[in-house]
Amino acid sequence: MSYQWDFTPVAANAPLLAEGLANTLKVTAVALCFGLALGLALALMRLSPRRWFALPAGLVIEVFRTTPPLVQLFWFFFALPLIVGIEMTPFLAAAVTFSIQSSAFFAEVFRGGIVSIDRGQWDGALAIGMSRRQALHRIVMPQAVKRMIPAFLERSIELMKTTTLVATIAYADLLYEANDIAQKTFRPLETFTVAALIYFVVIFGFSLLARLWEKRLAVSGEGTVH
Amino acid sequence: MHWDFVSVLSNYDALLAGLVGTLKIFAICLVLGLSFGLAVGLCRYARDGWLYWPATAFVEFFRNTPVLVQILWFFFALPILAPFEISPLAAAALGISLNSAAFSAEIYRGGIQSIDRGQWDGARALGMRYGQAMRRIILPQAIKRMLPALTNRAIEIFKMSTLASAVAYVELLQQGKLIASLNYNPIEAYTTVAVIFFMLLWPMVQLTYFMERRLKRGE
Repeated sequence: MSYQWDFTPVAANAPLLAEGLANTLKVTAVALCFGLALGLALALMRLSPRRWFALPAGLVIEVFRTTPPLVQLFWFFFALPLIVGIEMTPFLAAAVTFSIQSSAFFAEVFRGGIVSIDRGQWDGALAIGMSRRQALHRIVMPQAVKRMIPAFLERSIELMKTTTLVATIAYADLLYEANDIAQKTFRPLETFTVAALIYFVVIFGFSLLARLWEKRLAVSGEGTVH
Repeated sequence: MHWDFVSVLSNYDALLAGLVGTLKIFAICLVLGLSFGLAVGLCRYARDGWLYWPATAFVEFFRNTPVLVQILWFFFALPILAPFEISPLAAAALGISLNSAAFSAEIYRGGIQSIDRGQWDGARALGMRYGQAMRRIILPQAIKRMLPALTNRAIEIFKMSTLASAVAYVELLQQGKLIASLNYNPIEAYTTVAVIFFMLLWPMVQLTYFMERRLKRGE
């Protein structure tokens, strides 16, 4: 193999890669915040005895878990603006798509966690005069959240990997910048290798932190969902 | 707002070609990913460091990088190192298969580990070698427990197959893009593609729910 590796053109474009990484983290953070909030709302609706809440929530969860995220992204970016008549930016499309997509998965984690709490906890809370809302808020959720943490961490890491799809609608995330640099410098091998390594370092770092946290939880003697 | 699905459905031959492309890459990645994953999973289970460490590095790398980055690497970077052309199908199938192998390896390993030690001891006592015990005693029991997780992987592979459109492989989403740009009907084109994917994947998702429930009752 006589190929001469040359990383200097990639190094010269380091600021672009840094900007791309910042944008990747931005989309991830926004989608994570909205995804968690919306996921909790969907889970509570789905657990509700009222069908008007449970059915629509179930539908949203099923549709967004069952269709490919790239199809969702294209739909929100190319189709939705024509239906509602608004300007759609790549960032907005990505934020909306990944918020809803991750909320469908988070909803199932919340639901699994809440359902896993023994009925006796509910009965006890109601017996001492709490309303259902108080029981959920003060008794069930604090126990459930602890069990859900490993599944949340796993989903959040999945979310960060999924955000690379925004490169296909020309949002300047790390992958998009790498593609850009590869074309400008004619050094796709070095550029994509560096991009892959950056992703690996960031995502593997988060994975290790997640494992450390899970171990701590396991030591403190709590079962986990999933 | 005037919906016009006729302009999509009149391109049914393009959608059909896309469907064939989607099913083709799905089948390739399912077979390659799950079988290579078994080999990697067995190495991850091994005590021998020469098997364990390379398998672990492989699993960590492919689980902790986005699959789209892997596909683009195989498409744009690998041809510079390799003396041959890489087609969009080959690049996408490589990325998705290796990614799925890394994830399924952990399913296999977890499944094998979940089998009680006594099963190994019993097989040994009957005079079976390691390979025989694995094949005849351990794997048949472990596979049953792994089935829901493996079916889930299959669903993920199906969804990931859409990423092949990023390297212009002809599959459903790519054909949806084509139809939308030819007929200026992105609403109908992308909605149709989404509905097709939902109809194909929904039965698979229901199957995993069913298997999970049955497994819970059985254990």
